[in-house]
Amino acid sequence: MSLLEVNGLSVVYEPRGAEPTYAVRKASFSLERGEFVGLVGESGSGKSTLGFAVTRLAKAPARISEGTILFDGRDIASMEEEELRKQRRGGFAMVLQSGMNALNPVRSIRKHFGDIFAAHGHVPKTKRLARAYDLLEKVELPRTVLDRFPGELSGGMRQRVSIALALSLEPQLMVFDEPTTALDVLVQHAVMGTIRDLQKSENFTALLISHDLGIVLESTSRVMVMSEGVIVEDGTSQQILQAPQHQYTQMLLGHYADPRAEVVQVPGLVVRGSTISTTGHSSVVAAVSPERGETATGTPSAPARRRAGRPEASAIVVDGVTKVYPRPRRGQDAVTAVDGVSFTLEQGQSMALVGASGSGKSTLAKLVTGIERPTSGTIHFGEARVDTLRRKGLRGLRREVQMVFQDPYSALNPLHTVEYALMRPVLNYTGLHGGAARTRVLELLETVGLTPVEQFAAKLPHELSGGQRQRVVIARALACDPQVIIADEPVSMLDVSLRAGVLALLDDLRVTFGVSMLYITHDLLSARLVTDQIMVLNQGRVVESGLTAQVLRFPEDPYTMELLDAIPQPHRAGARR
Amino acid sequence: MTVAVNLPEPTGSTPPHQPPRGADTVVPEPHGPASSLRVLSRGAATIWSNKKARIGVVLLLAFVALAIFAPLIAPYGASENGFGRNEAPSGSHWFGTTAAGEDVFSQIVFGARISVLVGFIAGFLSTLIAVVVGLSWGYIRGPIADVINFVVNLVLVIPGLPLMIVIAAYLQNGGMTMIIFVVVLTGWAYGARVLRSQTQSIRGRDFITAAQFAGDGAARIVFHEILPNMTSLITGSFFGAATSAILAESGLSFLGIGDTTTVSWGSMLFWASNSNALLTGQWVLLFAPGLCIALLATSLTLINFGVDGLSNPRLREGSGR
Repeated sequence: MSLLEVNGLSVVYEPRGAEPTYAVRKASFSLERGEFVGLVGESGSGKSTLGFAVTRLAKAPARISEGTILFDGRDIASMEEEELRKQRRGGFAMVLQSGMNALNPVRSIRKHFGDIFAAHGHVPKTKRLARAYDLLEKVELPRTVLDRFPGELSGGMRQRVSIALALSLEPQLMVFDEPTTALDVLVQHAVMGTIRDLQKSENFTALLISHDLGIVLESTSRVMVMSEGVIVEDGTSQQILQAPQHQYTQMLLGHYADPRAEVVQVPGLVVRGSTISTTGHSSVVAAVSPERGETATGTPSAPARRRAGRPEASAIVVDGVTKVYPRPRRGQDAVTAVDGVSFTLEQGQSMALVGASGSGKSTLAKLVTGIERPTSGTIHFGEARVDTLRRKGLRGLRREVQMVFQDPYSALNPLHTVEYALMRPVLNYTGLHGGAARTRVLELLETVGLTPVEQFAAKLPHELSGGQRQRVVIARALACDPQVIIADEPVSMLDVSLRAGVLALLDDLRVTFGVSMLYITHDLLSARLVTDQIMVLNQGRVVESGLTAQVLRFPEDPYTMELLDAIPQPHRAGARR
Repeated sequence: MTVAVNLPEPTGSTPPHQPPRGADTVVPEPHGPASSLRVLSRGAATIWSNKKARIGVVLLLAFVALAIFAPLIAPYGASENGFGRNEAPSGSHWFGTTAAGEDVFSQIVFGARISVLVGFIAGFLSTLIAVVVGLSWGYIRGPIADVINFVVNLVLVIPGLPLMIVIAAYLQNGGMTMIIFVVVLTGWAYGARVLRSQTQSIRGRDFITAAQFAGDGAARIVFHEILPNMTSLITGSFFGAATSAILAESGLSFLGIGDTTTVSWGSMLFWASNSNALLTGQWVLLFAPGLCIALLATSLTLINFGVDGLSNPRLREGSGR
């Protein structure tokens, strides 16, 4: 008999005063004992709702409308609260995406363990400490963690603690809901390793919910793919990898590629940097398709004409810049976010700035855009010294240096229409008014592919998808014909299927408009796809730089290699098995 | 220069189609007013959907109607004093008469005018000050913020009622305007502090940085980007300020500060306690205006339950736990 059998399960959201929506539709599957199964889907596919439903953690307005969940032969879909609570020990446990925030900040880790042991009374008082040590060891944490408070632990450590807490109930079924999504790339890699090892040694049944097919394929033996509330594919990892049946699965798989490969190709994106040469520009020219080469060299393009009367194109020169933040709390050291970084971003160039979180890449972006000032060192943009600009100078700088934000959900004011968002920079910088300004706004929407433009102009951000929002953000950055665009992780919040489109757009616009781009990311694959130059940052220092293809194919610094290894690779996973 | 020149060259991912667009293209009006009207009606519907708030709205409307149609509702004038003194409630004088021989019921009806008026005007003005101070205070950084901080703290720590009494005594014979002035002067600080903390949290969002990049100035960002995101908080703060303004006005009038000849619920209490109404058994004289003050204040507080639901859907009734 299977450990978990789900039959025709539907979950419906019934918010007051709104139409009910089915998040999960007639899902049926079963999990065998000791099996490690993945559940993959994009945002809104219903995968988390399904995870919450099988552990009976779903709350109003979500409701299980039909179907049965047989856990160990008993139907938990209709179980009472108290019975359910008892069932959680030796039954099923869940580790959440925000599990690291699930710890109570004012209670020590020791008390967290104590609470769980006391609630279920399954560990005698005298053995509790030994049991807690044992659990910490399993998730590879030192014993001293017990007396720390959640705020003193890093995100990865907190997620490990919450895994240990879930394990303390000796569950037969563990549901991991995006357990590593909120973590840094390198940490994510390590935590996933721990989860894999635990599953093998403890032999619990595990369901891994993730949007990242790469991670899932690396760890699991069977994968279910979910799309719009329906499980569209269910097969062994090998099958999914080698012969995906459903087109949705094929699409997801298509967006993975190894940044170390000789030729990197992702649907919808031009292959670039396939040949390695000694100069940066020849590789760019080789990568650019012939027609586009003509556009760039033939008749002067529209933006060039529009730039008449504005300062000549100029490079950003960063020289020996250091940024030290004052110590956050008494007793702690001051933080050196950026340490002696120098580089030059030539006009029309595209450079990637990569590193794990805390490597100082976002701080560098703030310095270059004049939001923050460096502790020492200089930043030049043409004639201007960015590091000493005052308010008026900053305004001038922002006409030329624009930014694309990471989170499209917070980068647009929820109460203003798309037209308003795009109108502001047009009115402020270009000197256009009334009808002309509006025409320019519509033209921008057309440029970023949001057609029909009239309709999109009138929309509010919540009526747009994540990808569409990011296009609006890009359009806003382009509104005043800047020379430089700083893109801070522009695709990290988007679904895989949307990433390629946004990246292609950024790359196209950069080439067409002759804009230079500083592309900040932790994702080496996207860096390989849209940049020519790369700089790898580790703890504020540049550890490696050069041509993107060169650096990623033949990395020299151990940190770069570590970053490359941390990328989930479905194909590599297949080979290893 | 024609418009078409500005169009970018078609690129790989964007389909290379350009709809013909000339200088004579009709530019439709932006959808501003319509959408803000829609937002307003949706907000009203949210408030109405809350049971407590609905009771509050009905109560408030009743008082407002009482104030507007006072001359039609009241059987006599507010200071018409030709009746018998200290009469008990009867058919011709529902609530009895005062020591000066005025009809109590008519006074209650006319008194609503003062309370509603003071409540709304003083509430509006102190919210206005709170919005201007709180938002700019939350947005700017540096020494000016510290100065504002000092002033607000000063107003907050000084006990309200004594301060009001001192100021009111200083500005003698000012009447209603003086009371409004005093109430506003002492009532804006709390709202300013609440709005400031919310402003600080909003200013950290990306769309504020984006507005800075779009070249917007500080005032524009504060009043066009931040302010619309705080409508529910401001509405709540208005009802809170109006409630305390009504209570403060009654308190001051009851103490005999301001113009005691104006008929308001507070001054009715003042005269009632002056004439020892309780000793003469005329409890209605104290009870009726007191209850009205309490009901009006309650109605505003009840409406605020609904306003909470505007910004936080979880506080809407019946939307689960």
